[in-house]
Amino acid sequence: MTHIKVTVKQVGKKHQREIRLDPHTTIADLLRKLGSSRETVVVRRNEKIVAEEERLSDGDLIEILTIVTGG
Amino acid sequence: MLKCTFCGRRAAYHRRYAGVLLCDRCLIKSVAKRFRRAIAEHQMISPRGRVALAVSGGKDSIALMHLLAEYCKQKNCELVAITIDEGIKGYRNRSVPMARENAESLGVEYVVVSFKLAFGATLDQMVKLAKLKKTGLNPCTYCGVMRRSLLNQAARELEADKLATAHNLDDEVQAIMLNYVRADLSRLHRLGPTYPPQKGFVPRIKPLREVLEKEVALYALLSGLKVHLGVCPYASGIHTEIRDFLNELETNHPNSKFMILRMFERLKPHIARVTPKFEMRRCELCGEQTSADICKSCELLKGLGLKRLQKTLISPKCS
Repeated sequence: MTHIKVTVKQVGKKHQREIRLDPHTTIADLLRKLGSSRETVVVRRNEKIVAEEERLSDGDLIEILTIVTGG
Repeated sequence: MLKCTFCGRRAAYHRRYAGVLLCDRCLIKSVAKRFRRAIAEHQMISPRGRVALAVSGGKDSIALMHLLAEYCKQKNCELVAITIDEGIKGYRNRSVPMARENAESLGVEYVVVSFKLAFGATLDQMVKLAKLKKTGLNPCTYCGVMRRSLLNQAARELEADKLATAHNLDDEVQAIMLNYVRADLSRLHRLGPTYPPQKGFVPRIKPLREVLEKEVALYALLSGLKVHLGVCPYASGIHTEIRDFLNELETNHPNSKFMILRMFERLKPHIARVTPKFEMRRCELCGEQTSADICKSCELLKGLGLKRLQKTLISPKCS
């Protein structure tokens, strides 16, 4: 497979989008690509909170929850 | 699938500064262990004491409420939760019900104190007044000073011997950096896991001071706690810039936040020696303790044409 497709959703926002990625992409790589700091988010992969070093698979649903809320 | 270093279950978190992977159960256990270690190390809570907890309804304070409720049950301590409702539309009105719901489910005494009743104006109204009067001060200045003042007074009236706040490692390191940037020695040397007792002040404790913000969030989410994750509409300025800088540093160099804290702890005894000491007295307007003629809260209120309305915050109607 030359590419995989994952669906990315920011929790609390209506829109979700499909992103094409290299097959060996990890969640940490995806966060970098999206400009999200791993220190400020929790990621659910197919409804499970997982470590950001997990590699993504074709068809994954990735939900990004922002946890830094104060000033 | 990545596995937990300790039990082999699926990992939910990579604690990069320690080089270990943690599953949901081991992460929850680890945060609870750090909380208890902080309490024991700094003798934060006395046996059969009465602890007031500042609770906003966000992940940190709700996580701390659950940890403290369990601890207090085991140690025969009393716990009372206080929410300061600053009056931030679309934000605080959503988090207060969350705080109340958690307190009720745990059987924790719960009290709400509002800016509106105490000062005659919500924070939203103060922000508008500040713009009109061109005070040049940002909302966090009003919010921080007045919230701390009300929390202390409420905790004192509730006869608490400690006031717990849910400051995590990120909060503490941001405060250290902010005081460096502002060259504020006096505020810098007051930072710590506990505050020394002072007349009129309920000693504050920070049992989550050595837990990363992300780990507190994971604790709350993996425990299935109901928390409010809204963003304060006034969050901006130098606090946010320092927070973003520290997060980038931690991403690129894991353990940076702990190292900043450790270095500060080593410097702290030396900072105390060169920090000017203030004599505390009663504020001429409200009677609270202050180092000046009038306290910072009254000074800010005066600048907005407001004053303290309630001499006593806690009445049966408040709870």
